[in-house]
Amino acid sequence: MSFPEILVGIFEGFRITAAVVFYGLLFAVPFALVFGILQHFTRGILRFLVTAVIEFWRSSPVIILLFVFYYALPIFGVVMSAMTVSALVLGLNIGGYGSQAVRAALQALDPGQVEAGLALGLRRSRILLLIELPQAIAMMMPTLMNLVIQLVKGTALVSLVTLGDMTFRAKEIAQIEYNPVGIYSGLLLAYFIVCYPVTVIGRWLERRVGVGEGQAHGL
Amino acid sequence: MDFNHAFAIEIVPTILQALHTTLLVAVLSSIGAAAIGFTLEVTRRSGRLAGYAMRFVIDFIRSTPVLAQLYFLFFVLPFYGITLPAMVVGVLGLSIYYSGYLAEVFKAGIDAIHRGQWDAAKALGLSGFDTIIFVIAPQMLRNIAAPMGNYFVSVLKATPYLAVIAVPEMLGSGFDIASDTFRYAEPLVVVGIIFLFLAISIAQLVRLLETRLNAAHNR
Repeated sequence: MSFPEILVGIFEGFRITAAVVFYGLLFAVPFALVFGILQHFTRGILRFLVTAVIEFWRSSPVIILLFVFYYALPIFGVVMSAMTVSALVLGLNIGGYGSQAVRAALQALDPGQVEAGLALGLRRSRILLLIELPQAIAMMMPTLMNLVIQLVKGTALVSLVTLGDMTFRAKEIAQIEYNPVGIYSGLLLAYFIVCYPVTVIGRWLERRVGVGEGQAHGL
Repeated sequence: MDFNHAFAIEIVPTILQALHTTLLVAVLSSIGAAAIGFTLEVTRRSGRLAGYAMRFVIDFIRSTPVLAQLYFLFFVLPFYGITLPAMVVGVLGLSIYYSGYLAEVFKAGIDAIHRGQWDAAKALGLSGFDTIIFVIAPQMLRNIAAPMGNYFVSVLKATPYLAVIAVPEMLGSGFDIASDTFRYAEPLVVVGIIFLFLAISIAQLVRLLETRLNAAHNR
């Protein structure tokens, strides 16, 4: 197989990679928003519980969470498809990081914004929805881009739980023919093609918003 | 099949035997990542062309999954006649992957140092190398202790990836037990709990170090 053929073969797995990213975001975005906001507003024991949930998803290595959920949950009677487990684990892991971005952005807002809203007689929930969140989300866009890249890269793991993503295709091709240089360069190139545009968009947003590095620490 | 608590407790010592491999890999990879990352960042600043080249290298490293990079090193190096022990390949892989992130951390740390420090070093007749090592690096380290510490925690959390290239760290030893006994749930849950405990305690340590450094700085 020539290098372009290998690359095309690897991209046959793109549909699965994209699906895991998409379903992962369905878990990540709500989790990040809900838990970030909860952590910002709660105090005492409630805040401790919220933090514990976030830390569980953020502090465990994602590869281990994936295996535990894939292999161990069926024993407790919870059976999920490989796709569901992957989206859930990768999504909530990224969502855990995202919640910290949400909380940090809310905390970074000038308190005058909330006070102005209160002075205008708006309810607290409306202030959050109409004043705080729009500004916070704009502020954390660069971080979110970094997290999307982390999620895309994290999907390479699903090849270990039998999903046919790009990494899985590369390993399949590696079984057909001995050409490690072509196949694994192709795999790196494939992810680079997918992720680099997001990196560029993220950097552009970073310049516009003027916020530093995100809080994603690699997976 | 039920979750067998007695079996789970019984295998704890076996898995803990692999703890030193996990910690060794994490420490060596952290040192390697810092060394490579610092070299990348210093080279990036050394000239226009080198700047573009290093920018690309850093972006490439950050835009591809660590799993794909590990496969690349593990399968491609032997093709060129370089056969290294799996553990060396693993440490090399994690070092390279996280060097891309640490380079960005060093960039922010160096950018934060006042221009006058460079001028003063020049006025004192220090060479470029001496300026970086004796004037810039020590000040940079204090600026970046927190984000750098966070990345070291990430390195620790990435060590289970090495199980896929047969390094006998904790996840690998968990899988060994699983394939000997056909029980997957218990070893994986045990490994997961140990990692969660490790990651959280080291993160706390980093936070403590951070407050100490800030206190020392503000005195």
